[in-house]
Amino acid sequence: MAEITITPRTRAGGMRKLLERYPFLPALVIVVALLLLNGFFSPNSLSYRSLTGLLSTYMALVLLAIAQTYVIYAGDIDLSAGAILSLVNVAIVVLMERWGGGAGAVLLALALGLLLGLACGLLNGIVVAALRLQAIVATFATSIFFTGFALYILPVAGTPAPALFWRTYGGRLLGVPFVFYILAGLVVLLLVLSRTRLVTQLLAVGDDQQAAFQSGLPVVPIRIKGYLLSGLFSALAAFCITGDTASGDPLVGGKMTLYSVAAVVLGGSALSGGWGTVVGSLLGALTIGLINSVVFFMGTPSEWQNFVQGLAILVVLMAGVLAGRRARA
Amino acid sequence: MSKLKLSGVSKAYGATLALRRGDLEVLAGEVHVLMGSNGSGKSTLCKIIAGSVRPDAGRILIDNRPVTITGPRSARAQGIGIFYQELSLAAHRSVEENICLAALPIKSHLFVDRALLKQRAARYIRLFEEVAGEGFSADALVGNLRPDQRQLVEIMKALASEAPILIFDEPTSALDRAQVDCFFEVLRDLTWQDRGIIFISHRMDEIKAIGDRVTIIRDGETITTLNLAETDAASVIRLMVGGSGDMPASQSSAPAIVEGKDGAAITVRNLSGRGFRNVSFEVAKGEILGFGGLHGQGQSALLRAIFGAGSISSGDVLIGDSRFDASSPRDAIRRGCAYVSGDRGREGVISGRPIIENVTPIHYLRDRLMIARPSKLRDKVVPALQSMHTKFQSLFDPINSLSGGNQQKVIIARWLVDRPDVLLLDDPTKGIDLSAKADLFALIRQLAAEGLGILLYSSEDAELLGNANRILVFNGGSVSRELTGADRTRYNLYQAAYEAA
Repeated sequence: MAEITITPRTRAGGMRKLLERYPFLPALVIVVALLLLNGFFSPNSLSYRSLTGLLSTYMALVLLAIAQTYVIYAGDIDLSAGAILSLVNVAIVVLMERWGGGAGAVLLALALGLLLGLACGLLNGIVVAALRLQAIVATFATSIFFTGFALYILPVAGTPAPALFWRTYGGRLLGVPFVFYILAGLVVLLLVLSRTRLVTQLLAVGDDQQAAFQSGLPVVPIRIKGYLLSGLFSALAAFCITGDTASGDPLVGGKMTLYSVAAVVLGGSALSGGWGTVVGSLLGALTIGLINSVVFFMGTPSEWQNFVQGLAILVVLMAGVLAGRRARA
Repeated sequence: MSKLKLSGVSKAYGATLALRRGDLEVLAGEVHVLMGSNGSGKSTLCKIIAGSVRPDAGRILIDNRPVTITGPRSARAQGIGIFYQELSLAAHRSVEENICLAALPIKSHLFVDRALLKQRAARYIRLFEEVAGEGFSADALVGNLRPDQRQLVEIMKALASEAPILIFDEPTSALDRAQVDCFFEVLRDLTWQDRGIIFISHRMDEIKAIGDRVTIIRDGETITTLNLAETDAASVIRLMVGGSGDMPASQSSAPAIVEGKDGAAITVRNLSGRGFRNVSFEVAKGEILGFGGLHGQGQSALLRAIFGAGSISSGDVLIGDSRFDASSPRDAIRRGCAYVSGDRGREGVISGRPIIENVTPIHYLRDRLMIARPSKLRDKVVPALQSMHTKFQSLFDPINSLSGGNQQKVIIARWLVDRPDVLLLDDPTKGIDLSAKADLFALIRQLAAEGLGILLYSSEDAELLGNANRILVFNGGSVSRELTGADRTRYNLYQAAYEAA
């Protein structure tokens, strides 16, 4: 029982109960604080228009963080999430261009993009769960492979996406920005997923893989399904990045991978598995977006921006850890 | 009617035979007790039935039908449910989720049916409602529960399998009297439904209360099956121990306390901490004090706490005449305390590094050595290794190239470069061969003769009986009996360990 780190207590404090139920609360507080900070440096940044812009820029990271969350639930990790995003991004852009950029072409390309994401996830799952290779190194290796494939499809960045596609993503429907429909759809999807048996099983596997195996859970298929979900959401993230940048870039997702891991941790999930929420990861991704925005609006000189960004992520991470520890003590 | 029958089942891990020949027959409607000392193969036998360990040989029959069990899932499908001694719970999931984890009820092929899950879990929670204690509820997280409550959850989880054959591997070790009584009521109900139950416990009174028949396993072999009504505790223990149970340990085997070096090497007064309570003893210079009893009764926790790696809540430790309360192992090492763990892979070996680096870390610490010169160190390292006949090619070979026994010798050698005053041995011979054991104990006795105070915990009773001047028998975290002189017999040791404190 040495793995169980929570100390047994008979009477739980109110704060602690609340955190147990909603582990993403610290992340929510931080997002609100960052929004206020943004408003302080530049009142304009809280306008409807700027917030829409923020959301459409960071929706890809939100989806990538969610993709990462499902594998982290099971105690695994997916360092190829960003590479899958790049691969799907160039694949759909090239397909849309080749098929003429009409509505039918766009939808068909998106469907194939989803299948491609699932296929990448399946490969990761087989390599990690069935062949039992170390998740970190194995998915790092597949990420190189996926990047190579993306470069083969589109050697240089720049092929534009059809106007129909990015206009829809950046535009409005019935007066409401399209990205809010995406957010609403995402929330519904997450709610549905959170009630599935698979999510409970992923968390049980992440909690104690040996115990889950001894309980009779099919551990290998469960972990593969986690990677399938990760591939699926990475493909969805690719759609958003394509809508936002309106072009194909075989290296666009590379540096987003570790941001997605950071977002999951900022959202209060345990990297060791068994504990976390997707809502937390959503908020974690927004936190990273808001930090970048604050750094920009503060008027930080460009050569200092990376420095301030790194420091800000550390501070936020520490705040989350302290909040969790305070509640547990 | 035979519910489950095993014949000639065996399992080896590398060179160690965990189970040589396991035979077992469980009838419908009986509680069948498995008894055997630590490491005799009971748990391996249970895990083979439950599918989490694959046997090397042997036949398994369920309802007189031969079956192959390929894993825990196939075992469940064959109608086997199990309570794991080390529990199989997810700490961050709720009680009800854990109870139903193996077969989560679903609706629309996809979603967890919360209502049905709640209802199903409630059926099993209700059985223990009155004894579960404060803080226990269907939606409590398992990680927040007390150890006894977790054990109840594992029991409920095993019951929820509704399997016709149920295995309980030490289900009562953390439960209190009322909880045990309640659990036995449940077991009796199950036997009336003609289920077959395998039950492991080390408490003789429980076995008498609930068991119908008992199968005794010794050194990985099934010895016999008896009717519990027709036998008594003494003869069961005698069978577990083997023929030589009444022979006292040979008097010459333990070294005499060195005369003329008066004074205690280490004194412990009313020490309590996590896993042990109110332990007092004194070890003279040159004495070997043995810790006996069943596995996990606080012996390791106590040794680790003295070494500064565990927690002490109250009490005193004195080394020589001065108070000693190590806040960390680093502190303990500086003040002349040494600790050797049997779990060398995790707590001793610096894997992948040369032998010389594995001998010297304590020397660096005690001498505040900043620069390592291999040629100078060699003069200190080689005698330490030779004193135990350690076999090695070169000091610069990686430690992993050695056998387990030789690795352990290297780990012990690191404490011999600078002599400690007190040596704490935490099951030091786990998984090493007989000749290495003989070398180790020869050295341990020689160290005692040179005036070290030695605390020895061993899960093998022969080692304790053959080497310790006195033996403290631990039960439930405190010392239940002290065996000295002619009292140090196998029989007494077993009896003290198995009877409830």
